[in-house]
Amino acid sequence: MVTGSAPDDLTTALAACAQGDRTALRSIFDREAGRLVTIAERIVRRRDLAEEVVQDSFIRIWTQAHQYRPDRGSARGWIYAIVRNRALNLLRDGRREYTVEDVEGLRERDQVDHVMAAWHRLDRTSRLHDCLGALDDTKRRGILMAYIGGYSHGEIAGRLRIPLGTTKSWIRRGLSALRECMA
Amino acid sequence: MSKDRTDIAGMADEYVLGLLEAAEARQVEAELDRDPDLKAAIAASRDRFLPLDDTADPAVVGDDLWSRIDAALPVQGAASAATRRPTANDNSPGGQRWRATALAALAAAVLLAVALSFNLMRAVEPLVVAVLVNEAGEIQATVEDFGNERAAVRLLADFTVPEDKTIEVWTLPSPERGPVSLGLIEDARSVRLEGHAASGSGLPLPRDSQLYELTLEPAGGSPTGRPTGVILAKGLARITR
Repeated sequence: MVTGSAPDDLTTALAACAQGDRTALRSIFDREAGRLVTIAERIVRRRDLAEEVVQDSFIRIWTQAHQYRPDRGSARGWIYAIVRNRALNLLRDGRREYTVEDVEGLRERDQVDHVMAAWHRLDRTSRLHDCLGALDDTKRRGILMAYIGGYSHGEIAGRLRIPLGTTKSWIRRGLSALRECMA
Repeated sequence: MSKDRTDIAGMADEYVLGLLEAAEARQVEAELDRDPDLKAAIAASRDRFLPLDDTADPAVVGDDLWSRIDAALPVQGAASAATRRPTANDNSPGGQRWRATALAALAAAVLLAVALSFNLMRAVEPLVVAVLVNEAGEIQATVEDFGNERAAVRLLADFTVPEDKTIEVWTLPSPERGPVSLGLIEDARSVRLEGHAASGSGLPLPRDSQLYELTLEPAGGSPTGRPTGVILAKGLARITR
């Protein structure tokens, strides 16, 4: 599967981190930190919080590097998942709700734009693009809002103006169709 | 997960997308290490969606972010004792610190021996024991559950609890029932918890692999009856034999 350039470098770097090599962590930072900050910011919506997420994540990458197994998915997927999880946990702690309240109205439109921009910029030759493209618009939107923007079922239902139960089952069916398409 | 293994792939996708409720997500994380199918499904799901992350324009990141990370990195492997408890006269990183670590380890061994013989001498044996670890995998506490909502929680690390907060002890008897509070730890000290009045209806006997965790909650305990704060430590129980 295509996951960007030289995934093996990251696997090697993680192994070196587990041995206590700080320059290996630095090399991961130099290569990925910029994109990881953007990904975290799409979810937590504030640059300072996004940097906090990435900072915590790199410490976690360092302390957990020894747990990474190359036969369980790409190193890049493992690293990105740590950042996404930290960002999502910060949301669950409710920090987005009250820290962003005041600018929510202003940035809501930007945020929806981020989600759709990601879809339009998705590599057109990727299998994911084909398979997401085959879903109907609402299912695709729901899945993208969750993955890119960290929206919950309730937030997606509210923004797409469909009942919560319907939202849940559409997304579930969308995900199932996506798995089948990409298998 | 044990309740419906048929939809492991669906659950993995919803976990990766962040669509599970907090308690469900925690349960998935607790099951990960002993469920290779679930682990594989989550890894596959991550890699399926990864191309969406490539659509992000890299932000310009200053060197100060790296400085903050570098300053906070623990020593690999040797982690806990050395970094957490620097002694006041710790001026030579070699000898002194290791001597302090060795002494601390010796003291810990003596304490454990005392605690263990105390445990063995007690008439009532716990049904299960859980060792709780933090995100870095460092041991933080043990929970011995005697059933009937009686449990002993032993803290094995220092916890800093802000004045308006308290540590709450939780267990997950079943996914259907959700997390149940076993009680509060006042003053961040080891405690025995005796029958938690609020949960009334009683709990089933603790079973193997039951999840236990400590969270930071507002003083007086979680306002919702469910964990709301950060997880300080968690772990799965083992039946004593």
